Amino acid sequence: MKPILEFRKIEKAFFGVRVLKGISFSVPEGSILGIVGENGAGKSTMMNILGGNLRADGGEILIGDERLVAADPRESERRGIAFIHQELNLFPNLSIAENLFLTRFPRAGGLPWIKRGELNRRAAELLKEVGLDVSPDRSVETLSAGERQLLEVAKALSFNARIIIFDEPTTSLTSREIEVLFALIAKLRARGMTMIYISHALQDVFRLCDDILVLRDGEVVAHDATETFSTDKLISLMVGRSLEQVFPGRAKTRSGEVLLEVRRLVRGEVIRDVSFSLRAGEVLGISGLMGAGRSELARAIFGLDRRSSGEVRIHGETVRKSSPRAMIRRGLAFLTENRRSEGLCMDGSIAENLTLAALPIYSKHASGWLSRENIRTAVQKMRGEVHLDAKARSEQPIRTLSGGNQQKVVLGKWLLRNPKILILDEPTRGVDVGAKAEIYRLISELAGQGMGILLISSEIEELIGLSDCIVVMRGGTIVDELARAEFDRERILRAALKAA
Amino acid sequence: MRANVLARNPLAGAFLSEYFVLLLTVILFVALAPFAVGLASSESALNIVAYLIPLFIAGTGLTIVLITGGIDLSIPAVIALTSVVGARLMTGESSVISVAVGVGAMLGVGAAIGAFNGVLITALRLPAFMVTLASMLFFNGFAVWFTQSSNIGDLPANYLALGKQLPIALTAAVVIGVVFHLLLSRTIFGRWIYALGQNAVAAHISGVPVQRLTFATYVLSGFCAAIASVILTGRLETGSPVLGREMLLDVVGATVLGGTSLFGGRGRIYWTFFGVLFLTVLDTALNLMNLSQFAVTMSKGAVILFAAVIDATRRRFVAFA
Amino acid sequence: MRFNQLVFAYAMLFLIGCSKQQGDAPVAQSGEKPLTIGVSFETLQTEYWVAGFEAIKSELKKRNIQVLEATADQDASRQLQQIKNFITRKVDGIIMVPKDAKTCIPMIRAANEAKIPIALFNRPADKSDAKSVAVVADNTKLTQETVAYMIEQARKSGQKHKAMVILGDLGDINAIGRRDGFEAAVKGNEEIIEVVARVPSEWNQEKAQAGVVNALQANPDISFIFTSSDFLFPSIVSALKAANKYKKIGESGHVILGGFDGDATAYQMLVDGYLDATGVQDVYFEAEQSVQAVLDMRAGKEVPEMILDPGFVIHQGNLKEKAQRMWGANVKK
Repeated sequence: MKPILEFRKIEKAFFGVRVLKGISFSVPEGSILGIVGENGAGKSTMMNILGGNLRADGGEILIGDERLVAADPRESERRGIAFIHQELNLFPNLSIAENLFLTRFPRAGGLPWIKRGELNRRAAELLKEVGLDVSPDRSVETLSAGERQLLEVAKALSFNARIIIFDEPTTSLTSREIEVLFALIAKLRARGMTMIYISHALQDVFRLCDDILVLRDGEVVAHDATETFSTDKLISLMVGRSLEQVFPGRAKTRSGEVLLEVRRLVRGEVIRDVSFSLRAGEVLGISGLMGAGRSELARAIFGLDRRSSGEVRIHGETVRKSSPRAMIRRGLAFLTENRRSEGLCMDGSIAENLTLAALPIYSKHASGWLSRENIRTAVQKMRGEVHLDAKARSEQPIRTLSGGNQQKVVLGKWLLRNPKILILDEPTRGVDVGAKAEIYRLISELAGQGMGILLISSEIEELIGLSDCIVVMRGGTIVDELARAEFDRERILRAALKAA
Repeated sequence: MRANVLARNPLAGAFLSEYFVLLLTVILFVALAPFAVGLASSESALNIVAYLIPLFIAGTGLTIVLITGGIDLSIPAVIALTSVVGARLMTGESSVISVAVGVGAMLGVGAAIGAFNGVLITALRLPAFMVTLASMLFFNGFAVWFTQSSNIGDLPANYLALGKQLPIALTAAVVIGVVFHLLLSRTIFGRWIYALGQNAVAAHISGVPVQRLTFATYVLSGFCAAIASVILTGRLETGSPVLGREMLLDVVGATVLGGTSLFGGRGRIYWTFFGVLFLTVLDTALNLMNLSQFAVTMSKGAVILFAAVIDATRRRFVAFA
Repeated sequence: MRFNQLVFAYAMLFLIGCSKQQGDAPVAQSGEKPLTIGVSFETLQTEYWVAGFEAIKSELKKRNIQVLEATADQDASRQLQQIKNFITRKVDGIIMVPKDAKTCIPMIRAANEAKIPIALFNRPADKSDAKSVAVVADNTKLTQETVAYMIEQARKSGQKHKAMVILGDLGDINAIGRRDGFEAAVKGNEEIIEVVARVPSEWNQEKAQAGVVNALQANPDISFIFTSSDFLFPSIVSALKAANKYKKIGESGHVILGGFDGDATAYQMLVDGYLDATGVQDVYFEAEQSVQAVLDMRAGKEVPEMILDPGFVIHQGNLKEKAQRMWGANVKK
């Protein structure tokens, strides 16, 4: 069959890191291609290039026989590509019909007057096509996640899309909604629509797709008909062989006292009955997919979110009233996954950000008068400790630093407080290779000094390289626990992926 | 690169520095002095200082609120209510004690209104704009009701001195300016305030007591407005329920003109001083020129807009540097 | 260091503040130089004040005197600043419309200290040690006369009337005078007039409109309205029209209307036959008297502290003969 879409040697690098290494493949018209791979394998980057959100550094994309030139979402849309994102692109405050025709309302003549009747009639037709039985007048915020997903498909159809890309469409859907979506996908396929389906849910990929493409570290490692794969084969292909990454050697020190103990922690539906303990000098890795409840667990421990039930003990003492302030006083520190929005004051300087959490330490006065000298010394010392770019001035705005240096500042901010327990949520996300290695070194050193570290990461590699013990979370609970000797990438991925 | 070239030139350096508004004020002064008879005289300087002091003191409190990303629209109501409360307590009295009680009550009422705003904003998590707008209306109305719209005169002479003796008011302004400047630049409180305005979430996670801090800024703002009221009431020799009613735009305008951001995270006490100075010099200069009143108002608007445009351009340059 | 610079700047200001200037003699009097008089109005937001402002300016022009203008936008603090600026410019006299009766006292005192004569136009100051001349309309008396004329009309209709009065800002002595005049006129005529609504306007059109609408809803049979100022008529008329009660004199359902000031709207309503009467403040008389008072004080003559403008009631009966002294009839619409 004639391919409708072809990738030819597509290259992409971010800050010198190659994330797509000459991707080539083609999709026959009217088929469904499943794309699988670990977090960070390059799936989203690939689809963002196709959708016009990113520009490829090299190679070309053919749609039909024509090249897709401009990196422009509207151009991709015009060429018949519809990208249904993980975070949907809908305006919740507008009606269904308005969302569908936002950029091309049917107008009366040349006047800026919307023809309501025609708008609703055309919207109703589209809704019928995707099997969504609601009035076009309804505001989108009243729709469920599944209904919104269908609306996205309707939007794609309204653009006369020829290729629809689904990126993790089922993560927030109920099982009934998933069935409705799959029925629609089957119906569209029967009508000759080409689709690309990206998902971690392997059983869904097996069920829906004609072909499967496995992506690993920016390369296509397998691309074949669905029948040729088994679940085990897919997983080992996704994980691949161990990469040569330099993780600092760690002396095993699991004998320290228990610093943090979490007992039967529950927070609504997101965290269900989680228990574990963290010892001095231990790095406890937490693995799991997006939405497994890892960050939520960290937030609940740190007192950012309220717990429904369960208890948190620090040094054997139960914490009743938990707030970040109280937790910091008890020796906790929390590097969140959102560096820019939760970790840093982007308008502030390096020095201001570094000292934010530790300010009370530099004031012996009740008045809160700060000793500039003490602060300068502390900033200088911490800059050395986290190996911050020596060229940067301490008064320099934090926004001018690279992601890696910014992350070092966040880490330094907490280290100035001398915490006993350090929670790190994706500490190396958006960080270049050099800074990554330095953060690994720091983690290892800190554990060596007796700090207890809770390490949340989507990179299994990282967890295996650094942790003394790894727990795997899925659906808000711990589903597997591995001691250092048992570390096994396949077992971790399998535990994280397996549907309940 | 462009910015580097500019920075080497001293004039351009001033253009890019935080003293820009002060520079504008000087330019304005020099440009208008030949036309505004008497502008360059010690009398006029005294007038400018006298008029500037209450604006600056109220602006100081507002600056702190703005740095946290908040807003305080209740300043005029604080001025009006404290004016009539103080005047009611002091009218007809003459002892030093009654003056102390009156002034103390004024400052207390100011801080109390600030606390009222602060509680609603922090405990009930209402937007500061709505809360302070509502309290402006409420306390303005309350002040009018309290006096049944009449003014209260016959205030003790030793109180009137507070408003009329320029050195006393000036000392108050200097003390407040210096104390608040140090508070912002040299204490934990100040550093927290800036962090809160730049990123409230990050501040919260870093252990900054966001709620207590927010509350404190509104109390300080109410307190500053009350001090402004003590001086204004003394100068006008009257407790008036509409005192300061027209002041809000001047205070907010001068503070923002000085460079303090309406979106939080940026601001300095001395910037506010520059902003207030600019506005007062402009007002006085236009007043001294023999223009029709409509022309005065329109030129005032035009000059302020012009200053704002230049300042915005300048900031874009600074961002490049 | 920037902080030190600030300290320095403050110190400079402080020194200036302490060294009360011993400058030149207050008023340099050279024969040829034309005199300058500063005119500060509390507000120019109503036609009445604009007409007063214009009347003063033309009076000054007639006498070849220069004018310095200022408007305080209803802010006493700003007005004090403006008066001080006049003093800085060494004007030969000041005419002002004060924000209110009390806050103007320090302003008058400042003028007294600089030995500059000062006249208050249309609003008097409270009693104090500060010396000024106030030229004011006799609000109470003129209102009483106007309302008495209205009551006469009401009596002629032979029925009892429910009345509404729109009050001004009671911080303003003129508003109080007009209220007192109204109450005095109504007193003793309770068998014809029953006052059912007293609407506070605080000299604000929106407030007046809302108040009138509410009062008309509560008392749909109101048939007698007096407003403390003509500038509120547009609000009243629109409320009456909404209630279908805006009728000409003589038509059935006519609401007896009366006002105070004598502005252009009132003049037009008189001509069109909707308005029964309004008390006209004689702006030309007041302007002339203010200027004269300032000049007399400069010349060292004895001037009374208060000069009363008797004003006059204009109504359907005397419209033609009195129109040319009504300022509202001369305002271009």
